[in-house]
Amino acid sequence: MYLQSPLPLGNCGTRLCFPYEELDVSDLNDWTPRPWLALQNPSEAVTRPPALSTEYTTKTKRSEAMMADEATRRVFPTEPASHLRPRSRSVKSLVSTPESSFWRTFRSSTLHPSYLHLPITSLSFSPNSSLLAAASSTSVRVFSSLSLSEYDPTLFATLPLPDLAYSPSFRCDGALIAAGCENGAVRVFDLPNDKPPKTLRRLNAHSCASRVVGFPLLDHKLRLFSAGDDALFVQWDLPTETPLFSVPGAHRDYIRAGAPSPVSPDVFVTGSYDHTVKIWDARVNSGTSSVLSINHGHPVESVLFLPSGGLVATAGGNTIKIWDVIAGGKPVYSVETHNKTVTALTLAKVRDDTRLLSVSIDGYLKSFDFSRFKITHSMRYPAPLLSVAFSPTGTIRVVGTNNGAMYMGIKKKKDEFEDQVGSDDFAWSVPLPEKPTSRKNIRYFKRGQSEKPSEGDFIIKRPEKVKLKEHDRLLRKFLHKDALVSVLKTQQTTSIMAVLEELVARRKLIKCISNLDNDELKLLLSFISKKATQPWCARFFMDLAKWVLEIRAEDIRSGGPEMAVHVRNLRSMVAHEIQVQRSLQEIQGMISPLLVIAGK
Amino acid sequence: MIVGGQSLVTSPPVFSHDGKKLLVCTGCTVSVFSTTTGMLITELEGHTERVTSIVVVPVAGTVGTKFSDYCWTASLDGMIFYWDFSTPDLLKKVNVQLPVHSFVIPNILSASLGRSDKASQNLYAFISVEDANKGVENGKHLHGSIQIYDLTNSTRAGGVLAETHKPETLAISKSGEFVGIKKQKQLNIWRVPNKNLKSVNMKKLKLHHTRTLSCLAFHPTKCIVAAGDVSGRILIWRGFGKMRHSQDGGGKMKIDMGDRPGVRGEDDADSCSTWHWHSSEIKFLMFSSDEAYLFSGAKEGVIVVWQLDTGNKTYKPNIGSPLMYFTDSPDPSLSCVSCEDNQIHLLRMPSMDIIKSISGIKPPLILSELQGDRSRVTIGCDRSIGFVALPTKDYRIQFFSLLDGTDISHLQVIERNYDPVDETTVFISLVEVSDDGSMMSTVEEKLPEMGIGGLISLKFWIRGSHTGQYTLSTIIYEPHNNAGVSDMAFCPGRSMAVSTSYCGNFKVWVNNSSFIHSGDDIQEKGGWRCQSVSSYKEIPMTAAAFSGDGSVLAVAAETKITLWDPLNNVLVAIIGDSLGPIRQLAFVGSSEYIMSFSSGTKADLVVWNISNLSTHWSYKLLVEDICCTRSETRVAVLALLSSSDKSISTGKDGMVLVFDVENPIPVSTWFVKKAKGGRLSFINNKLGEATDGKLLLAYINGEHNYVLFDPSNVKEQEDLIPKSARRPQSYAHDENVSHGYASIYGELPSFDLTKARSSDSIPFVSSERPWETIFSGSSHALPPLSKLCSPFLESLLEKAEKQTVLSQ
Repeated sequence: MYLQSPLPLGNCGTRLCFPYEELDVSDLNDWTPRPWLALQNPSEAVTRPPALSTEYTTKTKRSEAMMADEATRRVFPTEPASHLRPRSRSVKSLVSTPESSFWRTFRSSTLHPSYLHLPITSLSFSPNSSLLAAASSTSVRVFSSLSLSEYDPTLFATLPLPDLAYSPSFRCDGALIAAGCENGAVRVFDLPNDKPPKTLRRLNAHSCASRVVGFPLLDHKLRLFSAGDDALFVQWDLPTETPLFSVPGAHRDYIRAGAPSPVSPDVFVTGSYDHTVKIWDARVNSGTSSVLSINHGHPVESVLFLPSGGLVATAGGNTIKIWDVIAGGKPVYSVETHNKTVTALTLAKVRDDTRLLSVSIDGYLKSFDFSRFKITHSMRYPAPLLSVAFSPTGTIRVVGTNNGAMYMGIKKKKDEFEDQVGSDDFAWSVPLPEKPTSRKNIRYFKRGQSEKPSEGDFIIKRPEKVKLKEHDRLLRKFLHKDALVSVLKTQQTTSIMAVLEELVARRKLIKCISNLDNDELKLLLSFISKKATQPWCARFFMDLAKWVLEIRAEDIRSGGPEMAVHVRNLRSMVAHEIQVQRSLQEIQGMISPLLVIAGK
Repeated sequence: MIVGGQSLVTSPPVFSHDGKKLLVCTGCTVSVFSTTTGMLITELEGHTERVTSIVVVPVAGTVGTKFSDYCWTASLDGMIFYWDFSTPDLLKKVNVQLPVHSFVIPNILSASLGRSDKASQNLYAFISVEDANKGVENGKHLHGSIQIYDLTNSTRAGGVLAETHKPETLAISKSGEFVGIKKQKQLNIWRVPNKNLKSVNMKKLKLHHTRTLSCLAFHPTKCIVAAGDVSGRILIWRGFGKMRHSQDGGGKMKIDMGDRPGVRGEDDADSCSTWHWHSSEIKFLMFSSDEAYLFSGAKEGVIVVWQLDTGNKTYKPNIGSPLMYFTDSPDPSLSCVSCEDNQIHLLRMPSMDIIKSISGIKPPLILSELQGDRSRVTIGCDRSIGFVALPTKDYRIQFFSLLDGTDISHLQVIERNYDPVDETTVFISLVEVSDDGSMMSTVEEKLPEMGIGGLISLKFWIRGSHTGQYTLSTIIYEPHNNAGVSDMAFCPGRSMAVSTSYCGNFKVWVNNSSFIHSGDDIQEKGGWRCQSVSSYKEIPMTAAAFSGDGSVLAVAAETKITLWDPLNNVLVAIIGDSLGPIRQLAFVGSSEYIMSFSSGTKADLVVWNISNLSTHWSYKLLVEDICCTRSETRVAVLALLSSSDKSISTGKDGMVLVFDVENPIPVSTWFVKKAKGGRLSFINNKLGEATDGKLLLAYINGEHNYVLFDPSNVKEQEDLIPKSARRPQSYAHDENVSHGYASIYGELPSFDLTKARSSDSIPFVSSERPWETIFSGSSHALPPLSKLCSPFLESLLEKAEKQTVLSQ
């Protein structure tokens, strides 16, 4: 039965050598010009592992069988279905949802806890400190100070275990850590800061590998539960190393998943390869029968209580199912987005929401919004994923692969909402229907600006800003001469007239004329000499010309040839005008007797 | 008879003790305005001369009469009156016998408070009176004097405190401790003793300055006095009167001469600082109620707020007219400022925003540099609705309703900002409103600078949807080249106007514009165009008039009257010579007569007969204005009396004569004051209160006081602008704004009594047994409680009598 599923166990200890092994994920991020290469390379690499894996000697018969199975199968990430592929650059803009931009704020880095490329079967964050425990091969390594500044996080401690280690679990205060072992003994270590960890308790009850070990989530520090391949489920009293609640034969197959309830220290859920998920209550001592049993339909790889405690998420095969426990195990929702077996589930805090993260052998990490039952984001990694953990602070995301690499994403300090599209190359997500823009968004402030008024709307126009000409501005500042000079430079007769009239009204024209310097006087004279005889403004300009000549006589005399030209022009204009007037008078003299005669 | 147009700004206004009413001296009456609505509530009538100052009793009436407000008013007729201005009732008369120009009552607070326990405390007033008979004394004309008057006993208390060249305005500190006047270049300050107020134990303190002082103000609590002078400086004396006032009976203390910055000579003050921002005479100074600021104002129209400690200043920019007075109210968030353009603005205090404006008729435009006939600034008059269009200094036209006595609207004619400091270079020289008020034309003149420039433009306006709302239709620059427009006339019943000019021609303007309705606004296409130009022997045209049917246009060419057909521009006839150049023409109704008058040395008033082109009758009379009815044959003439006439001494320099045009003997005559620059107009009586359908004659005198009367009803010997006349008060109800208790719990029903009291149109039935009818009638016109009380008690007696009768 278990052979049907591609077990991560089969890869345990497999030496895989990828051509892009040294390739950093952050490099992949920058690898934008060749998007397809990232997807195609793994499939090329897949051809090699079988040859390598033959050299490997497995420890158990079962795992050997698995190896044989794996040699014929591709365990590696397959190409996603064509409709799931990221299409092109331009489509990326569609992908930009608040969720994807959140995930994009994580900066990725790769970690190799051991250089043996052994699969990382389990990852766990300490609830209150930033310690991360990773189970890989025969050791549980505890890392601390996971941050972007240090590329290689410092190794805090290595827990000594005699055989393959499974399922490290921190106590709720982070002071103790427990781990299961291939030989069945569950060990509890303390984590002092300066000394190497010491085995505090050894709990012997399992005859086979104790795959599931967990402290209760609630503040119950002296309890521990474990389950294992021998289908035994035990709740332990830590100080006395005695089982408080023991269910032999809890399942009919390996128990590979288990979780404590977030609402009660005595309620647990276990999932087994016999396709069932069982809820246990330590307070109900009814022998071997569980409180609730649910059939998942596939060998259960991971099981999880959702934060409310009333819903249980189970992963088995390539489906994730959500069950309502309170309603008696009613299926709520089923997701089938992964192409291969879902190996681990965890909860993640996304902004103010909680998401269910699932990882799969197909190399995808998917974020599932269980409040709306929607996959909100998906990330692809270049290796089959076995484990996932998300730090309680919501800033670190770690996935463990079957080749010993841990891909870590650490959130940048700022949640850049409007980060440019495409910083994470293998990030794509289902575009969400557009949410109402939040206040942080620039669109919030621009909303409704392009709105057209509808019929019957009363339109209030914004008063148009009066744009003042320069001479108007100068007049406003009482810089009368500057205003006159600036308007004379424009050569517009009407504005010049207006400015001159305004100066008259302010009683400042004579003063302006006497203050003009020679160049400005030339400007004025040239203007007067051009316009002096125009009929509509002649009266004004003749008076003005008279005054200018009178006031500035000396300056004009000493002003050089240019000034003289203007004066000469003026004189000829006036002489011409007198000529015209005279001839007009002659004509009038001729016409008026005719008119008188005509009138009679 | 409707009288109005009094200046609101002859004296500072005074707030009532609760700050809800504003008492304004308006001629012979005191008008009480509501500060919430800005409307007139009531008027106090009784004085026979101009009221000069008001003192409000700072606490409300006491026992029983809870809603009464009391005030003292003084007038130039030598009387001081005591009023309950909520009713309004005249309670007491005190005859001072000399014209009172200003008075203050220092112990008004203690006297009014202490009345209940100590009935004998007398109320003393400092009065500033004019004593014209005093004559020359030591070579000085000392007309004014400051005296103390016992208001309780109506006797003069002691002698004269000070004598001044002219009557001065008294200033008093808020606590009543100090009273002061300005006396040319010095301040005189008296400290008022708490008891035994006699002029002999009043010590005078003098503070000197080098310039003539114009106003003063006391700090509310400290010994600080501020004075403004004619050059715009503000002087602040701190700690004045410490030596003099502290040692009352003792000998003269040695004054420490050192360390008294700014104090002149032996003045009794700690320090004197000078602030200078204003460029002209300081009109008012006022300390703020929180004692931290000093407000000052002058001609610029800017209230300057000085921080008292530092001298830093902020400004309330341009109110738009020279300021006169600033009054603060007991309500710290309210004060008011009086402007020279006959407006009182109520200000919200810290921010100095204008809440309401109480505006009267604008004062006449005085253009000193213009001479003779040309400068005649005319007033337009709408006969149908009864408003006048007055050109104002700030380039606007004020539309003022004569019937209601209210400001209707303002129209900005010249697009300029008005600055009171600038000299007048642009002004509105002529306003003409057509008879039905649908069209208006204005002529504005720009005065040339040293012979350059000078622009006359003619604007035609068309009435909008509201009264007094006009929109500009056409601007015509230089309608008669550079010559001035002497007269305008609108053709009745047609869009036609004529403008005459001094250059010897007249133009007929027609408006054949079409209106294009585009959306909301009506666009006018076309506008006023010149239809024809005509001249008569190049003689300056001085006046024009259309006949009642619009078929004949009469234009005066100096001494001759030319009659034209306005449509065809044909000279019909010429009527021969008057004595001088004709100033105005008027067709008399639909009759065959035309009336003209000329001014100058050969002034005359002539009635011409058009049918036989001859003089009908004439007077040798200096006429200021004539006015004819459109339908009847009555004409009204405003004539100026020559200086030899004996009635000049009484101040009446003109008369209004009403003629029937057939008869040279006037139908009726009235003598009027200040007739120079006056206007006459017949106005349709839309109220119809006096006589139905008859025309009212409006007379506006040179100071823009006006009277509306029915010429057939008013007796001849009566003075126009009588001493007491009522304005209609249809809108006078006070808008009660709820404060405190009322704002939370709503109005108490008993407070309606004040409302009822504030309106004086309650019909009181004074029968023998008033209790029988007292509650009959509308419920909103209940008589006040004080009036109800005695009848009620009487009714009780009546019942008892009846009972006794029955028992008998």
